Amino acid sequence: MLKESVLYASVGDLAKRIQSKQLSPVELTESYLARSEKLGPKLNAYARLTPTLALEQAQIAEKEIRKGHYRGPLHGIPYAAKDLLAVKGIPTTWGAKPFADQVFDYNAAVIDHLKNVGAILLGKSAMIELAGGLGYMYASASLQGEARNPWNTGCWTCGSSSGSGAIVSAGLAAFAIGTETWGSIVCPSAFCGVSGFRPTYGRASRYGAMALAYSMDKIGPMARSAEDCARIFAAIAGHDVRDRGTLPVDRAAFTLSPAGDLKPRALRIGWLKNAWKERDYDPAVTKVIEAAHKTLLRHFPAVKTATLPEGPWEDAANVILSCEAGSSFSQMIRSGKVSELTDPQARIGGYVNLTISGADYNSALRIREILQQKMVELFDDYDLLVTATQPVPATPLNLDLSKGLAFADPLGGIGNLCGLPALSVPCGFTDKKLPVGLQFVARAGDDSAVLQAGRTYQQFTDWHRKHPSLN
Amino acid sequence: MNKKSGRLLSRRQFAQRAAMLSATASFVPAEVILPEASAASPAQDTQNSPKLSPEGQLEAESRYQQILSLYGNRFDEEQKSNLRRMCAELQPSLENIRNFKLENGDVPALYLKPLVEREKKPQPSANSQPAPGSKKP
Repeated sequence: MLKESVLYASVGDLAKRIQSKQLSPVELTESYLARSEKLGPKLNAYARLTPTLALEQAQIAEKEIRKGHYRGPLHGIPYAAKDLLAVKGIPTTWGAKPFADQVFDYNAAVIDHLKNVGAILLGKSAMIELAGGLGYMYASASLQGEARNPWNTGCWTCGSSSGSGAIVSAGLAAFAIGTETWGSIVCPSAFCGVSGFRPTYGRASRYGAMALAYSMDKIGPMARSAEDCARIFAAIAGHDVRDRGTLPVDRAAFTLSPAGDLKPRALRIGWLKNAWKERDYDPAVTKVIEAAHKTLLRHFPAVKTATLPEGPWEDAANVILSCEAGSSFSQMIRSGKVSELTDPQARIGGYVNLTISGADYNSALRIREILQQKMVELFDDYDLLVTATQPVPATPLNLDLSKGLAFADPLGGIGNLCGLPALSVPCGFTDKKLPVGLQFVARAGDDSAVLQAGRTYQQFTDWHRKHPSLN
Repeated sequence: MNKKSGRLLSRRQFAQRAAMLSATASFVPAEVILPEASAASPAQDTQNSPKLSPEGQLEAESRYQQILSLYGNRFDEEQKSNLRRMCAELQPSLENIRNFKLENGDVPALYLKPLVEREKKPQPSANSQPAPGSKKP
């Protein structure tokens, strides 16, 4: 069993050791599997481990590297994939009881991309049922039960990429893949103290991924640092004819030079004053975020105050998401199979979604078009908008989320409605030792800006190197 | 459609009922078309529900009744109460969208196309010539 410090090493560090043959992919995989078997169940982090597949892939990687066929920085690196990504021959449950035995005979595009660069699939990470598409009230809204936060197991990880957050935070894998329709990557990243990246809509193919809201679903990495996110993103980004939502070839691809350069440029930062309402902030988070603001002022040349445009953006995002989720799960709702879901709200929420009119949905789409133009104009003045990822730290496991996490989230609504890239990085801890996240959002297509900003921030801070004590 | 339902509706019946509800919602009192609405606690009175205008309340209630008319036998009383609350909670979002000023020419982002870079209107070049054979209609 490798030391914990190795299991918490970044992808970049692990890759250097693997490439130089100082670290065996098989030994690394065995160590992550052993740690996952020991700690995974305590956190409800995995939907299932895939040890046979993992060891098979690790042995292939090891042989290839020994022969000098090194595929790149993810070769021999173990990871977990959210359980809504199809993996051939292995159950893909979507976190929901009605799909507990669902098995696909093909891989999701992201799984194939990672396989092609030599990454090793350790298992499927637990998630909120149907990625929360029909609503949920409790952290327990999952086939695997409530995901426990490694920093405090009495707290939640946030959702819906709940297991992915727990796995990275607890050092059970080098990275994980999550998905976001609205908050499902950045929120678990903030609550679990990891770096999570939501790419521009259309940069990573969703072929083989459960659809929640066709015009809002994104796939992205959760890892130890912004730089790791960039490495993983480079492997999964790209046009795919099987996903009509993907951007054209030249706009979807993301390249990262071997040195990990992110084409440094002077980034203009807009520090958002109206992303969260003052009354929604936990005072302990305010304190941490103010310190993060000071760090940005010291290390970024241009930091000014910015304001989000006002309008019914969240309402439009809500209506689009509700209608598209209603459509995605229409058969399940109409057949009554939703009654098999775990969460009381998920069992009935879909019926309400189906009552929204086509005219209202279309109006929401028209509002989206107007908002996109407004955001383009805002990004004339800034390269990045920055604020707290969440105004509160991880919440108690038994909290009624419809009351406890029901505050307005205009940046989440805007960012996901317009398909903007976002990155959450750890920026400190509350007095109760719970992580706080700092969120960077950029114009559509400028994924490099958020990754570069995150990397710069992490060059001057070490919050991303902290990890919980689980033994 | 739930086979256990004692009042199955054909697609046409459903469409007629839905159309009737939406067409009459703006000027007919709820209790006229929805007898249950006046007997049971309306959306406005449900605990934690948003404050709605009478019209908004009526519309939310009609959505709730629409669900009950199709799937009513699937829910217990607590679920019905929650459904009624959720129908009411949806109403402000719909009204905010409807109150937003949209011009006739404002087009929908039918399939999200992120504005990766600002799109410019193509400028006709100075020496542009009509294609050979092109004619005005």
